Amino acid sequence: MAFDSSRTVAASRNQQCGDSVQKSLKLSRLLQKESVDLIKTYKASQGEMSELFCKVSVNNVPDPNISGLEPSEKIASIYTHLQEFFPHFEWVYKQQTDLQLPTSPLLSDLRRFTAGSRNLAYLIKPFYQSLFPNVPLPEGGPTTLPPPQNVFQQKVYGCVVLKTFKELLSNVSRELRSLKSQVCRRRTHTNTLF
Amino acid sequence: MVSAGEMLVLAGLVLAVAATRGFSQTNHLVTAPQTTQFLEIGSNFKATCMIINTTEVTADDLYWKLSKTTVSKELYTKLNESAISVTIPVTSGQSEWLLCRAEKGNSAYVSLNTGKFMYGVLLKKGYPPGKPENVSCVAVQEKTTISRIFRCDWATVGRQTSDVPTKYTLNVVVIHIRNYSVSTEGTHTQVEFVDTYPHFMNLEIWVEAHNMLGKIESEHITQDANSFVKTNPPSDIKVISEKYFPTSPLMNWTQPIDKSYGKLKYEIRFCTIGSPNWTYVPKGDIATDIQSFRLQSLQPYTEYITQVRSQLGHWSDWSGTTMKTAEDRPTSKPDVWRIIAEVDGKNERRVQFISKDPVFANGRIITFDIKIQEQKNDNLQWDTILVNGSESSDGQRVITVLKDMLLADLRPVRLCVTANNSVGTSPMASLFISAKGHEDPPVKGLKVWSAEGKLWLQWTPPNGPDLSEYVVEWVSGDQTDWQRENKNTRLTAIKGNLEGFVRYTVSVYSIYSGRIGKPASKEAYLKEGAPLEGPVVRLNDKPGRNEAELGWVEIPLHRQRGFIVNYTINYTGGGETHEITVPSNTISYTLKSLSSNTKYDTWINASTVRGSAQSSTHSFTTLKYAPGEVESIVVGVCLGFMFVVLMTMLLCLYKKDVIKENLWPRIPNPGESTIGNWSPDYPLKAETPKENCLSGISVLDVDVCDGKSMFEEDKACLPLKKDKYLSEEHSSGIGGSSCMSSPRQSVSDSDEGSDMADTTASTVQYSSVVASNGYKGQTPNPHPQQAVFSRSESTQPLLDSEENPDMMIQESSRQSQHFKQENPAEIHLLEMDQQQQQQEEGVESLDFCPLDEESEQTKSSEGQSAASSYMSQREGYRPQ
Repeated sequence: MAFDSSRTVAASRNQQCGDSVQKSLKLSRLLQKESVDLIKTYKASQGEMSELFCKVSVNNVPDPNISGLEPSEKIASIYTHLQEFFPHFEWVYKQQTDLQLPTSPLLSDLRRFTAGSRNLAYLIKPFYQSLFPNVPLPEGGPTTLPPPQNVFQQKVYGCVVLKTFKELLSNVSRELRSLKSQVCRRRTHTNTLF
Repeated sequence: MVSAGEMLVLAGLVLAVAATRGFSQTNHLVTAPQTTQFLEIGSNFKATCMIINTTEVTADDLYWKLSKTTVSKELYTKLNESAISVTIPVTSGQSEWLLCRAEKGNSAYVSLNTGKFMYGVLLKKGYPPGKPENVSCVAVQEKTTISRIFRCDWATVGRQTSDVPTKYTLNVVVIHIRNYSVSTEGTHTQVEFVDTYPHFMNLEIWVEAHNMLGKIESEHITQDANSFVKTNPPSDIKVISEKYFPTSPLMNWTQPIDKSYGKLKYEIRFCTIGSPNWTYVPKGDIATDIQSFRLQSLQPYTEYITQVRSQLGHWSDWSGTTMKTAEDRPTSKPDVWRIIAEVDGKNERRVQFISKDPVFANGRIITFDIKIQEQKNDNLQWDTILVNGSESSDGQRVITVLKDMLLADLRPVRLCVTANNSVGTSPMASLFISAKGHEDPPVKGLKVWSAEGKLWLQWTPPNGPDLSEYVVEWVSGDQTDWQRENKNTRLTAIKGNLEGFVRYTVSVYSIYSGRIGKPASKEAYLKEGAPLEGPVVRLNDKPGRNEAELGWVEIPLHRQRGFIVNYTINYTGGGETHEITVPSNTISYTLKSLSSNTKYDTWINASTVRGSAQSSTHSFTTLKYAPGEVESIVVGVCLGFMFVVLMTMLLCLYKKDVIKENLWPRIPNPGESTIGNWSPDYPLKAETPKENCLSGISVLDVDVCDGKSMFEEDKACLPLKKDKYLSEEHSSGIGGSSCMSSPRQSVSDSDEGSDMADTTASTVQYSSVVASNGYKGQTPNPHPQQAVFSRSESTQPLLDSEENPDMMIQESSRQSQHFKQENPAEIHLLEMDQQQQQQEEGVESLDFCPLDEESEQTKSSEGQSAASSYMSQREGYRPQ
């Protein structure tokens, strides 16, 4: 009976793991798709030389690369990287609020995209906590926002942030796919061993 | 016994009184509870009343009133000398006041301060809330994303009262992120997510119902947020029908939302245009996230409606398009039939072969190939009949006339037909027409009736062998249609588009291996109504004195709108209206017992089972006399008159002697009297006077003198004559002895000559007086005249006067002189003459009467007569 019970619990946990990873993965793909649309909208609303803005490199933008070797480190890295971008989104939104009309679709798209990104982070967190309940999830270090900028710099900065975040989302999707096969199967296997 | 709880209530009341010191100074009663109470219907409510700050009343003086009704004391409980409680059942749903009051008749204080001895609590009644059920939420697609508006609906359970309303709170929790809550009094509301719809997040949803009597939550729903999404239906739907796959068109569409929102499921259905039944593609055959699908097993050359819908959470609405599959070879036979009409005077039939396209034409039929065989081994060429290509708009198959031909009654033929479309040729259909009189037996007991908007037929099969099928044919005017039924059919309904109010001749033909048997036919209506018009009424003939024959023309068939069951003849005349009902096969009727010489209005109602129509009014007037009646009366009267005349004539003939005796009495012939012998020497014939004025009957008579002679002779002639008459005249004596008593010379006035005496046999010459002297200017007879006195011995009065009025006038003139002699007999005669003359000639006879006579006549007549007589007299002198 004990064997059967542990198997049932393991199966349930495996199901939850798979669901959480799957949802996170779906949301990251959705955000990826939305990031493409958002960058188009952003470029369209910046006026002339919008293509040029996105080719300029800017400092102080978070790194889109996922770090760590272990799944826990990778998941924690995803979470912290997502967290690092939110202040930049807020900053970009504030700058574009000054640059755009209140009815501009860019503003609403930015709000929706930011909220979706937060939701992704909210999905990662319980997933991590369910997988690694005894390992605290780092909230991420303080991020550095850019100093006061002129309009050109603001436009460049916004585009770089969006492009970098899009790259992060791509990395997140890739890591989640691998984590889904690694973490959930391994834990299932581990549980059944017990 | 006072329970501990009641003691606590009392203690609480005391504290409450202490807390509301100011209030207690003005009121001597207080209840517990004090505020408005919400009570559940069906429960009991207990209240306590306490006396404060007075000794005027005790607990025995307290009583409870619920609205206007005093609560029975049986429900009271006396707690102590200053407090009572009451327990009442909560029944009705109306809110009401429960009042504690005090009454003491001998206390003036209580009577003057009733307001201080009253305290109440308002009771509001209701039901606890019911658990909300069937909670469902949806978020619809908005452009390319999902709306942040999240709407939920639920159903209420249980009853509510207006005093205790139930409110609902929708709770939506985005797990680990945020809670949303919205209240409403209805059964639906919505929340708005912040910034974005929480895709792939878990939502927990429930509805809480709450009122003053409690609260309760619905079942909690925890689902992925995408399971509440309702996307738009798929767009840009196209169905491609390929030539080589006429039954498998390809369906394409664009998915309503990006794949990144989730995998979309699809559902596909199709049906032919006009069909209410959809064919669903099995869900297992449709993969997710597809944008095309190949339909299967459709009919070639058929218009279809194809629809598709998608599902992320909820199913979207349907979207679709219409399409027509490609053509294919006809796969069934054409439906061949014939119309046969008799040809008058010839032993031939006019046969028209007609055909409907095959049921599975699978394309537009372009031509029919036909072959008519008179013998089995005829190997004739096929004739090709072109079809004009028109298609029926009402879903009925088009009827094509293949051939018209005259066919001898005794000549059987076989028709072979194939239909062709642009792809190929159909199987061959054949029709065999037997020689007239050699048809196989018909079905028996055919019944036709209308029900459920259709014409139903039932029959009993014939006994003939080789029965293969039936053909049900219906004909209206020149419109013919038919349908085929298999040989086991006994009951069927006509599937064609029948019209109401149209008469159909429905026939059932039994088909024996292609040979057409005799039909069994009935007439029927799909739907009957009142006729559109009444019959045209007229009189078949002129109306009689007491009868009239009405005739009417049958209503045209297309205006009857049903079977005429009877005619009702109405006619009114002389203030009465009559009504006669006659069978439907009647087209004339004779109205009897009519009044003569009366105007009648008549009209006819033609009735079906559904109503009647009235004709226009026709008026006629009956005759006063029947034909021949007038003629009969005239003939009768004439015959009667003739009879009377005949009888009179016969009577006269038989009684002529009597009549003659009475009317013409026998008068003795004077010629036969003795007077001829009385003076034989005196010529009987008087001498004719020479003067004209004296010519005439009598020399005394001046009446006969014409005016001319009078003017010529002397105007004083008259006086002279009078003188002469007075002096010289010798009037004749008439009569018997009286005349003889005063003899005088007299000349018979028959002196005019013997002519008169001769010519008038009836004239009676009474006397003849010849004067001795002539009249003035008259030459006396040179020969001495002998006094001649001739007398008639007749006693007959002057009957000749009636025969000869002229003579009478002369006589009267002459006799007027006789009045001088006052001979009574003459007077008598004169009076008779005068009377008769007056009757016949008026006053003319008086013109020349002597004065004496005039005076006498004046006496007998009015003075006016005298005057007129005078005037006439004067005129009498004028030439006439």
